[in-house]
Amino acid sequence: MITWVGRKTIAGWTYLAALAALFAQALLDLLMPPRQGRGETFRVLIKQILFTGVDALPVTTVMALLLGIIIVTQAGTQLPRLGAGALVGSIIVVTVIRELGPLVTAFIVVGRSGSAIATELGNMSVTREIVALRLMGIAVGRFVVMPRMVGMVLSMLCLTIYFDVVAVFGGYLVADAQLTIPLDAFAGSVVRALSTTDVLMTVLKGLGFGSAVAAVCCYHGLAVRSSYTEVPQQTTRAMINSFVLCLLFDVVVTVPLYL
Amino acid sequence: MSDAAIIFEQVRAPMLGGDSCLEMDLRIPSGEWVACVGPSRAGKSLMVELAAGLVVPESGRVIVLGQDWREVPDDEPESVRLRVGVVLQQPGLLSNMTLFNNVLLPLRYHRGSIPDRRREHMVMSQLERLGLTSLRDRFPAELNQGEARRGAIARALMLEPDLLLLDDPVAGLDADTVVKLTTYVDEWRARRSLTVLAALRDWSPFVEAADRLVVLHEGRVAADGTRDTVVELVPAPLRRYVDKPQESCRMER
Repeated sequence: MITWVGRKTIAGWTYLAALAALFAQALLDLLMPPRQGRGETFRVLIKQILFTGVDALPVTTVMALLLGIIIVTQAGTQLPRLGAGALVGSIIVVTVIRELGPLVTAFIVVGRSGSAIATELGNMSVTREIVALRLMGIAVGRFVVMPRMVGMVLSMLCLTIYFDVVAVFGGYLVADAQLTIPLDAFAGSVVRALSTTDVLMTVLKGLGFGSAVAAVCCYHGLAVRSSYTEVPQQTTRAMINSFVLCLLFDVVVTVPLYL
Repeated sequence: MSDAAIIFEQVRAPMLGGDSCLEMDLRIPSGEWVACVGPSRAGKSLMVELAAGLVVPESGRVIVLGQDWREVPDDEPESVRLRVGVVLQQPGLLSNMTLFNNVLLPLRYHRGSIPDRRREHMVMSQLERLGLTSLRDRFPAELNQGEARRGAIARALMLEPDLLLLDDPVAGLDADTVVKLTTYVDEWRARRSLTVLAALRDWSPFVEAADRLVVLHEGRVAADGTRDTVVELVPAPLRRYVDKPQESCRMER
């Protein structure tokens, strides 16, 4: 039993170290890009931003609106019974901007783009496209991994902020229609409840979740060796591990805030 | 500086499955066209992978264009890697790019200073010579095996390498296309010094055109020399790999 726990612990740390190394290498490639291949790498980055960020806008809009509507409906009907009807703004700031916004956005990105990246890189490994790039003197880290990671982190950050704004707007729609709270009162309540910490938290989580998901998905995609059956296996692992890492990161940054 | 393009210096490398080893001590001079032939599991692909720096030998050294692969970083701008064109059994065309963009990629990545128009002209002239012009906008999944392989060869030659390594370049090609491809490589060699090492499964015009044949059998060099020498040296069961089919049949009779 102790041996099993020890082995699993070592494997867990080794895995985290490998992810950190992949992320560090991507950061290095971003900060110190060589002269060659800049245009091509930039093209890959733009494609990734379009796919992860722009193409995800419709689904993000729908989910954010629905989440905002649900939260304000619940808060707007429950809080007045406790004599805390004025806390609707506070509730939406704490639940959406601080917590659910970044987390739900991360889950959308994992489901759409994370799985796509793991599958794409896995297939590239099987069809030896990755080897072919290496043989052409094209660094896989610089041409394949870095633009996908940077694209995903930037997209995640922007989508998180967008999600927060749309969810608050969704909340306002309910506040206006069902609770008859006018726009200026609702907006004032949200602005009063919003602090710099909330904004920093949402930005930090957007960046952290984006980095974690990108590193995990690239790692598992490149872990595919020679068989197509490995591709779905690694993709599933990538998605599960992305969810777990996002929640772990969330705990690490949220809990100290309340200690 | 050595005039050999590839030196396999007492190389020993385990073959896939690990039950046998490729062992060779071979020197391929610059500008030579070498065809490596032999039955399956003889170690031909491993020989190409060793020469391409994809596999590190268990012992011995592989020196390519004067440099030991172990000392060559993959992605340096002036790396020897850019002087070696490689096409493996799986052509490895990028599936999210058209054939045209696949062939253009090495130029775009490594020769960014060349104007777009000139680069496009260079790619189109290669596609034309390989009979691929009409397929320029097709994605790799829409190409047959032979078309993809020709595309990969065009891509491997875009940076004008000094050494071309081909693993089974004629698989999936019809007889006419094999002759065209042989002529294409020959024309490249006429224009500039190009060393070619091609691993082949069967006799083909590619074998006929080679300056030198290396016959591999169970990981060892069974015969090495010009075609005429090798035909005499090689054991009877391996003769069909170095001789035209009808000639070898006649000899066996």
